Amino acid sequence: MAIVKVDKLAKSVFQGPSLMTGSYPTKDWMEVPAVFKPGNFAYPAKKEKVEYMNSQQGLSFPNAREWWPEDDDWKLPENWKEIIINGLKDRLDKFRSLKIFMDCCVRCGACADKCHFFLGTGDPKNMPVLRAELLRSVYRNDFTLAGKLLGKMAGAREMTVGVLKEWFMYAYQCTECRRCSVFCPYGIDQAEITMMMREMLHLVGVGINWILEPASNSNRTGNHMGLQPHTFKDNVDFLVDDVENLTGVRVEPTFNRKGAEILFITPSADVFAEPGLYTAMGYLILFHAIGLDYTWSTYASEGGNFGLFTNNQTMKKLNAKMYAEAKRLGVKYIIGGECGHMWRVLHQYMDTMNGPADFLEVPKSPITSTVFDNAASTKMIHISEFTADLIKNNKLNIDKSRNDHVYATWHDSCNTSRGMGLLEEPRYILDNVVNNWVDMPENAIREKTFCCGSGTGLNTDEIMEIRMRGGLPRANAVKYVHERYGVNTLGCVCAIDRATLTSLMNYWVPEVTVAGLTELVGNSLVLEGEQRQELDEGLRTLV
Amino acid sequence: MGEITVAGKKIALDEDGFLINQDDWNHEVAREIAKQVDIAPLDEEQLEIIEFMRNYYKKFNAFPILNYVCKHVDQPKQCVNNEFINPMKAWKIAGLPKLSGVHFVSVDGKNYLMEDFPG
Repeated sequence: MAIVKVDKLAKSVFQGPSLMTGSYPTKDWMEVPAVFKPGNFAYPAKKEKVEYMNSQQGLSFPNAREWWPEDDDWKLPENWKEIIINGLKDRLDKFRSLKIFMDCCVRCGACADKCHFFLGTGDPKNMPVLRAELLRSVYRNDFTLAGKLLGKMAGAREMTVGVLKEWFMYAYQCTECRRCSVFCPYGIDQAEITMMMREMLHLVGVGINWILEPASNSNRTGNHMGLQPHTFKDNVDFLVDDVENLTGVRVEPTFNRKGAEILFITPSADVFAEPGLYTAMGYLILFHAIGLDYTWSTYASEGGNFGLFTNNQTMKKLNAKMYAEAKRLGVKYIIGGECGHMWRVLHQYMDTMNGPADFLEVPKSPITSTVFDNAASTKMIHISEFTADLIKNNKLNIDKSRNDHVYATWHDSCNTSRGMGLLEEPRYILDNVVNNWVDMPENAIREKTFCCGSGTGLNTDEIMEIRMRGGLPRANAVKYVHERYGVNTLGCVCAIDRATLTSLMNYWVPEVTVAGLTELVGNSLVLEGEQRQELDEGLRTLV
Repeated sequence: MGEITVAGKKIALDEDGFLINQDDWNHEVAREIAKQVDIAPLDEEQLEIIEFMRNYYKKFNAFPILNYVCKHVDQPKQCVNNEFINPMKAWKIAGLPKLSGVHFVSVDGKNYLMEDFPG
């Protein structure tokens, strides 16, 4: 997909009309239809993928068919409206939060300009309040007395094909990052509203391929990339060779090993492509340095869970392999790698979806004896918690100067920061492994962090312009610290970030590269018996 | 793209230019696909990469780590990007099928980076 020149797009974002309408709003929002054109929608899920998912035990993806967003006729099932309204009723009954979120918004607008997609597109329907109204208006019409009696005067409207198309447009221009929720006086979780819209769209066979395909791969082979066990192992072995080339030390990871103390699970992208590969090398070096008794799994070979972006059942099914594998291997607990949305699933849902994991123990670091009470129930801890504790207890031999080619800043990944409160650990690690790093301005970090613009499965290239627009607020903050301090590295703990922020930086701030935190940790470690070469670019050095 | 003609025989490509029937592949076909993606003529280094990718796919059913390819064909790192600009061109010339979740993006038309299905 060709994309316009950077200076032109920057100007258009700040001065131009709405991306959707090409003009400044003159009509009531209900009268502005969603218009699909190349570049503003992600491709629909392929029929065979929908059929495959639908054929799986416990999953329901009905109404598989060929359809195209630009066509007038989406070939919806005849009783589509009934399906949607019943779907909404089911969810209102099942999720009390949804009912509250539908009722309690006072439309104060505090969220309006907090959304990166609104900031980047200028499209009023990307104001979180209005995105929620797309659903809320239907809720009022069919489920509230005021809506039934007063109709449009009460902000109600009937569910129509046009409304459904609008849901598809805007439920897929939301990355469920929840920045808006931080500013909402009621704490309305916009991510949950988007999730509900996406779930209901799946009921009538409307979804996107970039989400359903990795979800189906993950169901079939255990990971998004569809890597088979021997391929997964071979990829890790290649990284082992690379680590040896760089450091002179041969690390010896094991796979599917029963009786290991710890199971390690990370996104499969970490063992598949740059820059994740460097992060995976960091894990290998770190675990070797402390002599950790751990194993990889070629079955639970994916930390990520694109079920989170489709529906509850899929999320639950894809997540189940983590505990199942931990049980099979007889480990004590699980350490999870650098991933964003994976941690929303683990932190908020895993325990109640697939737990209790009473066959596991409360995580206790074998090196420091620290007990991670925060994970007493899930039995799974984040690599950054684990690493920060090692540093705090002085268990790592670190030479910070090895990262002197780096001037870093820190991108709080939405799901780890807002989703699980992982704010201090990465900063503490950075303090200890690099000499130079600086935070971005306070409205762009921690709980108020800006999304990469491509989360929740929107990292597909047919919507590149929308991604670059949505990522602009993040890029803008990076540009600020780049220009002011000479920042050249954007650190993060998320696989989607590592891939998509790389494109975002190439576009808006090409002087900045993206690195996983454990890459920087691994590069700073002094290993016993090492014969390290001059590594001007750390683990990325070509040798 | 649809179709190429090699030695009088019509060979089908899919809408994105990937060879449809794996058995159709030979060096002649590779050279013709290479022309379609503006890589011509194929040189020795490029052929090595392509042959390696074919063998890799047969064994692993996946897209390889790019530097893994370079290591095995004894070429400098980044060899696939250097030889083909967009590594997906090498995959097409090798007559291998489109894989889910593997695509390369570029914002400047020069540097192509893989964006996969990350976690």
